[in-house]
Amino acid sequence: MTYLIIGASSGLGKDLVYEFASKGNNLIISSRDIRDLKNLKNDIELKYKVKVKILTIDLANLDDVKKKINLNNKFFDGITGVLFPAGQMDDEDFINLKPSLVGDLIFSNFISITYIISSYYQKKEKGIIVGFGSVSALFGRRTNPYYSASKRALESYFESLISNNDKKNINIQFYILGYLDTNLSFGKKLFLPRGSTKNLSKLVYKKRLLKNCKIYFPIWWSIIGFIINIIPFKILIFIFNFFKKNEKN
Amino acid sequence: MENIKLHNLNINSFDRSHNSRINFFRPDKYKDIENFSKKHKNLINMGLNFSYSPVFFHKKSVSIDFSRFNKILNFNKKKKEITVEAGIKIYDLVNFLLKHKLSLPQLPGYPFITVGGAIAANIHGKSSGFDGTIKNSVKELLLFHKDKGWKKISNRENKVLFDLTIGGLGLTGTIVSATFKLKSFPYSRFLINRLEVKNIKETINYLIKYKNYKNLLIYSWNDASNINNFGRGYVFVSKPIKKNNENNIKLNFKKNYKILIPLWNSLTSKLFNYFFFNFQKFKNKKYEESFMKTIFPFAGNENYFNFFGSKGFIETQLIIRPEIIEDFFKSFTKFYIKFKPEIILLSFKNISGKQKYIRFEGNGICVTFDFLNNKKNLIFLEKIDKLCVKYNVIPSVIKDSRISKKILDKCFPEAEKFRNDLLKFDKKRVYKSETSRRLKL
Repeated sequence: MTYLIIGASSGLGKDLVYEFASKGNNLIISSRDIRDLKNLKNDIELKYKVKVKILTIDLANLDDVKKKINLNNKFFDGITGVLFPAGQMDDEDFINLKPSLVGDLIFSNFISITYIISSYYQKKEKGIIVGFGSVSALFGRRTNPYYSASKRALESYFESLISNNDKKNINIQFYILGYLDTNLSFGKKLFLPRGSTKNLSKLVYKKRLLKNCKIYFPIWWSIIGFIINIIPFKILIFIFNFFKKNEKN
Repeated sequence: MENIKLHNLNINSFDRSHNSRINFFRPDKYKDIENFSKKHKNLINMGLNFSYSPVFFHKKSVSIDFSRFNKILNFNKKKKEITVEAGIKIYDLVNFLLKHKLSLPQLPGYPFITVGGAIAANIHGKSSGFDGTIKNSVKELLLFHKDKGWKKISNRENKVLFDLTIGGLGLTGTIVSATFKLKSFPYSRFLINRLEVKNIKETINYLIKYKNYKNLLIYSWNDASNINNFGRGYVFVSKPIKKNNENNIKLNFKKNYKILIPLWNSLTSKLFNYFFFNFQKFKNKKYEESFMKTIFPFAGNENYFNFFGSKGFIETQLIIRPEIIEDFFKSFTKFYIKFKPEIILLSFKNISGKQKYIRFEGNGICVTFDFLNNKKNLIFLEKIDKLCVKYNVIPSVIKDSRISKKILDKCFPEAEKFRNDLLKFDKKRVYKSETSRRLKL
């Protein structure tokens, strides 16, 4: 079995690489920097005796994605599943973010991913697609508006994939991620505990054979997600701003 | 998914002599190292924070936590060479190598330090009598300096920088990866021969007697809790052996609960030394011991250090030439009688190598003391510093957080050369720690 993991060089992506390799799967690992990929490939091949190919892709650049994925029509031959633990955030991601950076965020977190998925989905009759969203997309806030919007769009796209997924034998899974023990939350005081990327990787591997699923991780975010979805938006914003104000005080 | 940020935390040196609120970042991509290093004026490298002295932080420097760079990059079993990222733990490296019947010749006493830290400290381990320090096994390093960029350094390429980096306390830049020469290790455990000694002289005699026996690890435990029995103890002669039914050995480690209570004092030290000495007599003189317990005796026994309490301890490690060791200890004993310091641990082993710059290296006997951190002991140690100068003894700046610039300059003939060569390479002196500022490096 061979899996394509896009966004493989750090955080959750890296843990997925180790989890899938430890189960004897060959991999195509992808991210922007070839140095990270080469070293990851060497480590995996030495430890797990599996075959690893590397693919440098800059998701912020759709032309690059098109070039790499359309290199030949047989790109997805032999690939059992594709996973997208990729994402890009920006410290300056507020509503007045420079338009040039807006594009980077939307391409990285949504458009390039949907391009790859649609290419895969159209070519394959059987396979696995795993996407990763974020609880930041539960409702629009002041921070990370472009990242959150992209993640919400991605979630919607996966819901559409699941809705249409009755004729093909493709498993589609979407994880909505809360706080994880990555660099993103490292050292921060958070109001809920962090989930482990190692445990999440194990869960993703275990659930890969499910036909369709949408899972919150860590699990308690499913309750928060439910509550947020039933509260009217205006009240939600009021509560959120109230907490923000108290936090500042 | 990642968006790397600067964090802050309160941090202690392992000996608890220094505490500071520091800024640090934890990269896991090569680009992160480049981008973040460039943003900050002063930096310092941080492994897993097991350095006795504060070589991995300073309140004005941003520490680079390198623990996520822990991959094996290349392995050539035939050539007995391995390239690893500097954040890999010695424990993980050894576990990988033992599967292939290989080992790193020099292994530190604690397995959870990083390879980068081991190189920056030029660690030696129990085989230092014949294997020397880790410098002898480092073939090549990849270094990153925020102004100079990426540098491949070895004995052939950038030799001065290579020499400055090994044992250079992380002041030349960030060690990103290292290539090691390995040795065969087809063994699974050790056969220990315990020899009782009455004093330090007998201990030294055994160390000298066994010095040229390759593959035998020789080290001692000596009682230093009171003057009447000063130096009595045991020399342990450990020979690696292979058991037929043990093909692959894997290190196992159980983490203990941390008990930070100040248990060590003059009385408990005497009691502990008395019981340890007499307890050994109930054991066979020859016995088998696991790889883990022989090479890494403190793994799983971390509470030994915690029993020093929040004030911590002072570890003094010295290289003393055999020809003057008797005179050194005569003077030492005079001060010992006068000041009655609380020494919890005293141990001897052989060490070999050529001393250069500020490296803890040389031919002689390596002596280790653990003291309670109190005023009386600090005064006593000032007297011992003077003895070190008098007898040309090399102290370890990695272990001993007290060492002053004055003592460093007097004990290390090339300390000033280290400063000058470092300044030639890095005029802005970017990488600075608490230790480097104290020693004006």
